[in-house]
Parts: sequence; structure tokens; C-alpha cells
Amino acid sequence: MSASGLKSRNGMARFVPYAFILPPMIYLMVFMFWPLARQMYMSFTNTRIINPNRGRFIGLGNFERLFEDPAFYLSLKVTLVYTVLTVIIGVTLGLIAALAIDRPFKGRSVVRAILLFGWAVPGVAASLIWLWMFNERSGILNRVAELIGLGRFSWLTSTDYALGSVLAVTVWQVAPFVMLVVLAALQSVPEEVREAAKIDGADPISTFRAVTLPHIRPAVQLAALLVTVWSIRRFDVIYLLTGGGPLGSTSTLVVKLRQTAFEGHELGMASAYGAVGLVLALLVAAIHYVAEQRRMKRMSR
Amino acid sequence: MAPRKLLIKALRYLLIGVLVIVAGFPVYWMATTALNLNSQLYGTGQIAWPQLQNFPDLVSELGNVPIGLWLFNTLLIAAGGTILSLTLGSLAGYALSRFKFHGKGMVGFFLFMTQVVPEALILVPLYAMFITFGLLNSLWGLILANVGFSLPVACFVLKGAMDAVPYEIEESAIIDNCPRFSVLTMIILPLIMPSIAAAAVVSFFAGWNEFLFASTFLMDRNLWPASVGLASFVGQYETPMSAVLGAALVFSLPAIVFFLLIQRKIVAGLTTGAVKG
Repeated sequence: MSASGLKSRNGMARFVPYAFILPPMIYLMVFMFWPLARQMYMSFTNTRIINPNRGRFIGLGNFERLFEDPAFYLSLKVTLVYTVLTVIIGVTLGLIAALAIDRPFKGRSVVRAILLFGWAVPGVAASLIWLWMFNERSGILNRVAELIGLGRFSWLTSTDYALGSVLAVTVWQVAPFVMLVVLAALQSVPEEVREAAKIDGADPISTFRAVTLPHIRPAVQLAALLVTVWSIRRFDVIYLLTGGGPLGSTSTLVVKLRQTAFEGHELGMASAYGAVGLVLALLVAAIHYVAEQRRMKRMSR
Repeated sequence: MAPRKLLIKALRYLLIGVLVIVAGFPVYWMATTALNLNSQLYGTGQIAWPQLQNFPDLVSELGNVPIGLWLFNTLLIAAGGTILSLTLGSLAGYALSRFKFHGKGMVGFFLFMTQVVPEALILVPLYAMFITFGLLNSLWGLILANVGFSLPVACFVLKGAMDAVPYEIEESAIIDNCPRFSVLTMIILPLIMPSIAAAAVVSFFAGWNEFLFASTFLMDRNLWPASVGLASFVGQYETPMSAVLGAALVFSLPAIVFFLLIQRKIVAGLTTGAVKG
């Protein structure tokens, strides 16, 4: 092979990585980041659904309306309350479940499979079955409530209970996932250390705090981050259970966005909701990023 | 000490029992509701145990729901999305696993971003874009939208698997001037089949379960996947509940089976990226 041939081959080699990375990146640019940028632009326009490609630039008009609208603040509050409670309850229950089935016992694999049902069932199917269980007249929950003398509840149509009901379904879906992540992490706890703690007479709670928790903390943090992100993203369950109602008591930003766009036909206004959602998502990502950097530092020490 | 130990053990089993009931009951109830007659559900009262003798009624009632067509559409959406996201995801995964190049950090950042951004944020611009390119009300458009979110996950899973393949295995092929693309397809991919299967399951069921895009982009009832079709019963007066939940069960079973099969693989792929929401 001639020297020049080799050289041109080496010259080509510099471009090889791009031959691999460009197709997927171009794909994401076209179908993810360009739309995202466009949604940011649309939030400054008065675009309506009749002609989605032609909206007039109106500056901060949408945001001025948004920040005067009590429905927006309610939606922001619902999103935050829903997210925080989902994370706290979901992670706690997932952690408890993981610790409960960590040690071997008879029928463990069956129990493990059943505990994962909520995570494995598609969101729409989960919504349908819970809708039926929440049914005011014929649902099992009210039948049991009546049987024990509590009377009927408006699980999904009363502002007192709707968010709690949606939360219950969400926790049913996410706690199994947390359990799965924590179970995997629990396998990394060295058996000798646990045994040693036991022999030293440590009670289960202090063993957990001193030995187990440090091992599974990164996994719990990761699970908490994912549950946070998913709670901000979640649409199907909330939309199908309550449609954001009653009186907006379950209308998260995502539900509100979709309704503003495709029921209110105001795409520009919906994009303004989206802009707020993006800020929220970026905030969560930034918190995760900082936490991750600190963890890396700790580990390298 | 002994009685205390016994008490802890009893409490632990009690806790497990409660968890199993809470976690499993909704799925059990889905199955038994499907096996109730509508006259029982709305009239005389639901029977709490499985009435297997009602199975023929359920089958004939399912005939009133176009669940076959819906599942077929679901299958097309899920399979199309899987092929696309595995193809693009293995290219990206290989590039990230084997090469150093300018902008690698940015690629990682973009991939991470896709996992944080809510789907709803690109709903409106995609809608506008699909109108322009005639992709609205088409399964192709829906697949293209879905893959934006499943591709990064496939990439994370596959990159993780490729990182575990020693470089020596492909070294001799590279010295022999074998094109890198062939190295990927002939040497690397056959070695990471279990991870490809896991990535395929995740991508497939992302498409299978998807609801937001499908309910927005597909107007034609004949194109609806099962998620949109089943959701269309919500809010109807006196829904034929046994048929709807029977269909929902049929729709759920593949997801349950495959997610239970790959549960451990999913967690392994998690250290690098989000998987199923």
C-alpha cells in the first residue's frame, strides 16, 4: 500500500465516529430538539390550532396572561404537590417492600412477581381497572366502605379526594419500580458485614442505618430522581382518571398543556405552559447533575 | 430473645401479605371483573371470585370491541419503533462506547435531556410539523415521535453492553481493514444479544403502552392502537365493563410477561439512563 493511500485512510478515520453518531443525532435534532426549540418560540406567538404553522409574534403576551391566571398557579401547585408526594410515598413504600422481601423465604419469586404488577401493567389498562374500582355506585372500594359503615366516597369527583386517589394509583405504579432498583442494590451489601453487625448485638434498625443504608443510598437517590421526572411527565393516568378535574384539583402542567392546546385550541398559550414545564424539568436535571458530581467526588476520595 | 425474633418474623410475613394484596389485587380484580356479566356488575352485584363458566360470554362480548384491530395497530407501532430505535441506538451506542470524538460530551448531554423532557413539551410543535409533512393521522408519524424517546434508552442499554466487550475481540478485524460498520454488525452485536433483547423489549413496550402521542396524532378510529381504543370507553355511560377490562387484560398480559422476564436487565441498564415510566 502506498504512503499516500495510508494517509488518506487515516484522514478518513477521523470521520468514522461521525458516520455512527450523526444518524441518531440528526434524528434527535429533527424529532426532539427542533420541536423543543420551536415550542419555546411558539410560546411567544398567538398560534391557534386552525393554522398551527402561522402564529403572530406577541412577545410576552402569553406569559402575562399566564401569570395573571389563578388556574396556572393551581396547576403549578398541583404538579409540585403531586410530584413531591409521589416521590416521598413511592420511594418509602418501595424501600419497605424491598427490605421485606430481600431475605430468602418460600415463594419469594412469586411474591416478587406479584409486587411488580403495578409497574408492568400499561398505564391505560391501570387507569381502566382503577376507574372501575373507584366507581361510585358499583366499585369495590365503595362497596367495602359501605359494608364497614363509612358510606360512599366520591373518589374521583370530589376536590377532597381526587388528588389522593390519583396519587394512590401512581404509587401503585412507581413503588414496585423503586423496589426493583433497591433490591438490586441490596445484593451489593456484603453478607459478612451484616453478620458481623448481628454478632456484635446490633438491633435490626441500627444495622440498617449503619450497614445497609450507605450501600443502597445511591440507588435510592437514582430511583427518586426517576420517579420525580416521571411524575412531571405523567399524563395517561391523570387524564383518564380525572381529566384534571374536579375544578382543576388534579390538573398538572402536562394535562393543562394538552387541554389548552387541543380542547382550548390555543397552541401559543399551551406552549407557554410547556415553557414552564421545561424550566421545571431542567431544574430537576440540574439538581441531579450536581448531586451526581458530588457523589463522584465522594467515591473518588 | 426467641419470642421477640418470632414476633419480628410474624410481622414481616404480615407486611409481605399486605403488600401482595395491595399490589396484586387490581390485576386480580381486572380478571374477575372481565368474568362477571354486565347484569352482575351494574345490578345484582359483582362476584369476587373468578366465574370461569362466564368465559364464553366474555369471548362473545369481546366481539363487540375491535380489540383485534387495535392490537394489530399497537403491534405495528411497537414493532416499527423497536426496529428504528435499535438501529439508531446501536449506532449511537457503538460510537459512544468505542470512539473519542469532538462533541461527545454534548451527545451525552442531549441523550440525558431526552429522559428529563416531558413528551407533552413537543406535542404541539410535532403536531404542527406533522401537518406540514402529511404525517398527522398516520402510524409512521406516531412511530417517528415515539422513537425520539426510546432511542436514547436503547442506546444506553446497548452502550453498557458494548463497554463490557473487550476491545481485543474486534482489534484483529480492524487491523485487517474490516469496515467498522461490519465490525459492529458481525462481531459486536452477536456478542450482546441478551442486551439487544432487553433493549428491544423496552422499546417495544414503550410503543405498546404509549398514549399521549397516539391519542393526539391519530384521528382515524381504524388506526387507533389499543391504548387509545380502550381509553375511548372512559366517560361513557354504562360502559360494557367486563368486555373493556377483558380487552385491557389481553392488552396488559404481554407487557406483564415481558417486563417480569427482563426485570433484572432493566435495572442493570438503569445506571446510565431512565427506562420505563
